Amino acid sequence: MKKTLFAAALGAIGALAVPAHAELPVAIAGPMTGQYASAGDQIRKGAEMAIADINARGGVLGEKLVLEVGDDACDPKQAVSVANTMVNKGIVFMHGHWCSSSTIPASEVYVEADIPMATVSTNPQVTERGLENIFRIMGRDDQQGMVAGTYLATQFKGKKIAVVDDKSAYGKGLADEIAKAMTAKGATPALRESITAGEKDYSGLVTKLKRDGVEVMAYGGYHTEVALILRQAQQAGLDLTVMGGDTMTNSELVTAAGPAADKVLFTFSPDPRKNPDAAPVVEKFRAAKVEPEGYVLYAYAAMQLFEQAATAAKSTDYVPLEKALRGGTFKTVIGDLAFDAKGDQQAPGFVVYRWQGGQYDYAK
Amino acid sequence: MSAVVFAHHRMSPAERVRDAAWVAFVALLLGIPLIGLTTVDAGGRLEVSTRFGMLALFVAIAFGGRIALRATVDHFKARKLARQQARGASEATAASTTRRVSTWLGWFALGASIGLPILFSDNRYVVDTATTVLIYVMLGWGLNVVVGLAGLLDLGYVAFYAVGAYSYAILATEHGWGFWQALPVSGAMAATFGILLGYPILRLRGDYLAIVTLGFGEIIRIILVNWTDFSGGPNGISSIPRPSFFGLEFTRRPAEGEQSFAAFFGLDYSPMQRLIFLYYLILVLALLTHVFVSRLRRLPVGRAWEALREDEIACRAMGMNTTNIKLSAFAIGAMLGGFAGVFFAARQGFISPESFVFTESAIVLAIVVLGGMGSQLGVVLAAALLVLIPEFGRNFAEYRMLLFGAAMVLIMVWKPGGLLSHREPTVRLGQREETPA
Amino acid sequence: MAYALQQLINGLTLGSMYGLIAIGYTMVYGIIGMINFAHGDIFMVSAFIAVTCFTLLAAADVSSIPLALMFVLMVTIFFTSAYGWAVERVAYRPLRGSTRLAPLISAIGMSIFLQNTVQLTQGARVKPIPPVIEGGIELWAAPDFTVQIGWSQLLIIVTTVVLMTAFTWMITRTPFGRQQRACEQDRTMAALLGVNVDRTISLTFMLGASLAAVAGVMVSVYYGVVDFFIGFLAGIKAFTAAVLGGIGSLPGAMLGGLLIGLIESFWAAYLWAEYKDVATFGILCLVLMLRPSGLLGRPEVEKV
Repeated sequence: MKKTLFAAALGAIGALAVPAHAELPVAIAGPMTGQYASAGDQIRKGAEMAIADINARGGVLGEKLVLEVGDDACDPKQAVSVANTMVNKGIVFMHGHWCSSSTIPASEVYVEADIPMATVSTNPQVTERGLENIFRIMGRDDQQGMVAGTYLATQFKGKKIAVVDDKSAYGKGLADEIAKAMTAKGATPALRESITAGEKDYSGLVTKLKRDGVEVMAYGGYHTEVALILRQAQQAGLDLTVMGGDTMTNSELVTAAGPAADKVLFTFSPDPRKNPDAAPVVEKFRAAKVEPEGYVLYAYAAMQLFEQAATAAKSTDYVPLEKALRGGTFKTVIGDLAFDAKGDQQAPGFVVYRWQGGQYDYAK
Repeated sequence: MSAVVFAHHRMSPAERVRDAAWVAFVALLLGIPLIGLTTVDAGGRLEVSTRFGMLALFVAIAFGGRIALRATVDHFKARKLARQQARGASEATAASTTRRVSTWLGWFALGASIGLPILFSDNRYVVDTATTVLIYVMLGWGLNVVVGLAGLLDLGYVAFYAVGAYSYAILATEHGWGFWQALPVSGAMAATFGILLGYPILRLRGDYLAIVTLGFGEIIRIILVNWTDFSGGPNGISSIPRPSFFGLEFTRRPAEGEQSFAAFFGLDYSPMQRLIFLYYLILVLALLTHVFVSRLRRLPVGRAWEALREDEIACRAMGMNTTNIKLSAFAIGAMLGGFAGVFFAARQGFISPESFVFTESAIVLAIVVLGGMGSQLGVVLAAALLVLIPEFGRNFAEYRMLLFGAAMVLIMVWKPGGLLSHREPTVRLGQREETPA
Repeated sequence: MAYALQQLINGLTLGSMYGLIAIGYTMVYGIIGMINFAHGDIFMVSAFIAVTCFTLLAAADVSSIPLALMFVLMVTIFFTSAYGWAVERVAYRPLRGSTRLAPLISAIGMSIFLQNTVQLTQGARVKPIPPVIEGGIELWAAPDFTVQIGWSQLLIIVTTVVLMTAFTWMITRTPFGRQQRACEQDRTMAALLGVNVDRTISLTFMLGASLAAVAGVMVSVYYGVVDFFIGFLAGIKAFTAAVLGGIGSLPGAMLGGLLIGLIESFWAAYLWAEYKDVATFGILCLVLMLRPSGLLGRPEVEKV
């Protein structure tokens, strides 16, 4: 029976995974392959740079950091498997996962194994479940939806606004929040629709928008579909402005949508690249031919967070580390970080951006 | 017939080179558009970049690989032929040896699976992966009833898995049911869905049945995604309670008035206790499934399934009620899938529609077919293989799914009947012993 | 009214694309009785080849659109049919004569393999090309809604009609068509009568792949964005279309494709867009319950 073989083989993997205690293993996890691989790539680049910098400063508590990378491809089942692998590797800190639907099940593994984690997942559920090991260095979808909804209601007053989502946990959550905020400001959505992500034909939706005279579409979902909708809207002679969430930071949007990308507004945390304290790090990334866009600096900040918390706690054990993380204020490249009781960042703030000629900047 | 992989005559070296050159030429054709050329993003526009070095390497590998493959295949062919001529072995002894070996293997597998968590009691990853293997074993055994025994092609098996998982999740989170109360109810729920689906469509044949079951699987998933009030929509259902050990919870700090497993047995709390408990739980569920299915196979209903698989018209001519027989296979298969779903929900603690996509159905079907349809031990083998290939592949990161696909094709081509194939009826007239493992 | 007309055009375009892919399923099923699950991925590969071609042409500054289209079509069909041939040769031919399910599993494996090959060699990012054909005609300027048909939509519908006619002619009138139908009826008998069965099956796969290639080129022209995952959804829909029309029947595949395109468009236009796939599969189940071999399929002969 092959079962013994696999047991033996699994044992071999396990043996390989025994942590080497001369170094401190920290980990990142996210979609390194699959549809959202570009976000995983940003996280990896940010974390690698941060660890190189920290080690150049002499490491954390005299020990060098080593980076473990986990690929969950945004699949909840694989996320749990990655989490178990990481626990076996004896990591002391995790930055990830990226998709909310991966972060939620994986966090239950980390909390049992006493591993603190910093995530950029924006779904409210991430911190609402009362887990004490989870810290969010990004804002929440409800805050994000509030900012986007308010902006739409005031800037596009009197225009017809549709709210569309892609039926993903992230997209639907965001779209619902936007619709709620808009209604609260007296601008009821003219149309509320869902599409299936991964399809290519959105001409039906575009025709519907055109019939209803919609000029602005608030969209909860990922950038690929926005690019397709914009292209098909242009073909159908519909002048459409899109308001999206933090996923629109991906530069693939510009490649795929072409000039129509200039019609995209989105909400994201204040651009860390504009943070004067981050200037040297930004320079360093650019010198290494990496544009520190999207999640790059967040990954960098997560590693800084760990460095400072461990130094303050004088330990990398869970209990003092968790206490230090919850109690302290940390100076990172994305600004000062402090957490509330749930583990949410205390002053997140979202700003509205606009793509313009392949770059994004604050919208006027 | 041109150059088939299994040639019957010895080829001359010139022929071998010609044959390999042809393969290399095809490799070149296939390689040009995907390997030789690629498009890269150059600041908002695509640009074509070339990788002719890699293409040349690919063609060279195809050429060399073909020669090596031919040589190996010829070598084995020749040896097999020689052996057959020398022995003239009777089919019957071979068959009975295989059967003895597989019975022996079955016991060995059982022993190994019982011992595994003891050997790896501090390794989360091993225990967790073994649990996943067992979930697939159970799903495979369930689908085996439908596909392997009754011969009905079901491409939407994941629907019943989902029904089981969501039934438990909803019963547990909204009505406070425990795992053990919800298990039979969820199984019955899945079986009901099996009958509901089965009744109208069972007069369809073969591949028409396949597409309708595929559609049914998708319908269930789409409803789960969209009916937010009922299923939590794309957010899924989180914080699903874990099964308890006769009322003892596996928590560090048990709730007021309850006792934790660790405290009751005077152990130190360790998250591994729950993992190992879950592992044994699925092992017991799987073994019960195995016993249940092997017993059913010997009952009239089981024999009717096999008869139906072989010849439906003959069955009808014998006065058998084919609709009821098919329905029973569908319902029992669905129920077993539902049980696996309940366990899945309890183990993950979080379910969302993303776990119940078509690929999952395809993998379970692949387990049944790769294992050798109708073979219980074959399912175990195939499940272990299909779960472990991608897991081992984690070291190769992005190549792992590529290997997975290639392995599926290669195993099928190598053993078209499955790893352990036998299509023998379970019971024969005048021969009452011999259970296929 | 104008709105319905516009949705009709959308539905026809989408349906034509499904139909082109569905023919590949139906032809393969007709001749060797297997569901070729990798066909959707052949279509995906062809879309990547088309994108590479268009990018090459853009770099070479080719400005004549008809010329560019012809060139891309020819190159894409050539390479894609090589893929169709190779897939049959490697994954299906060794399994001919084994159980019905073996080639199905092999096809699922092939589909996973092709998807990951493309992801590895071409990258996981989406591949966009600038619009090839822009603009269209205003068909009807109703007071509240202007009905438009894009040139690319027109191109898709016309190409599909032309190809369908050509294919029907080929299957019913040419020697190859006769051989193909002979193999469908009885492979052994056809072989005894001097039909080269292996070659006929290979050619069938190549033809199916060619039509998928046409669909791939159309996708890159019309949508302008491809990724390694497009084969999956398109494949499932096209397969559904083939079954709806009666698997094994060429006009059936086309009819099924168009029907599914129209059902999707109109359901999404007037009812709940999020349940449009439920509608598609629901109608499929209904049709199969009333006509167990699809709309235009021949009822299976039960041999006793």
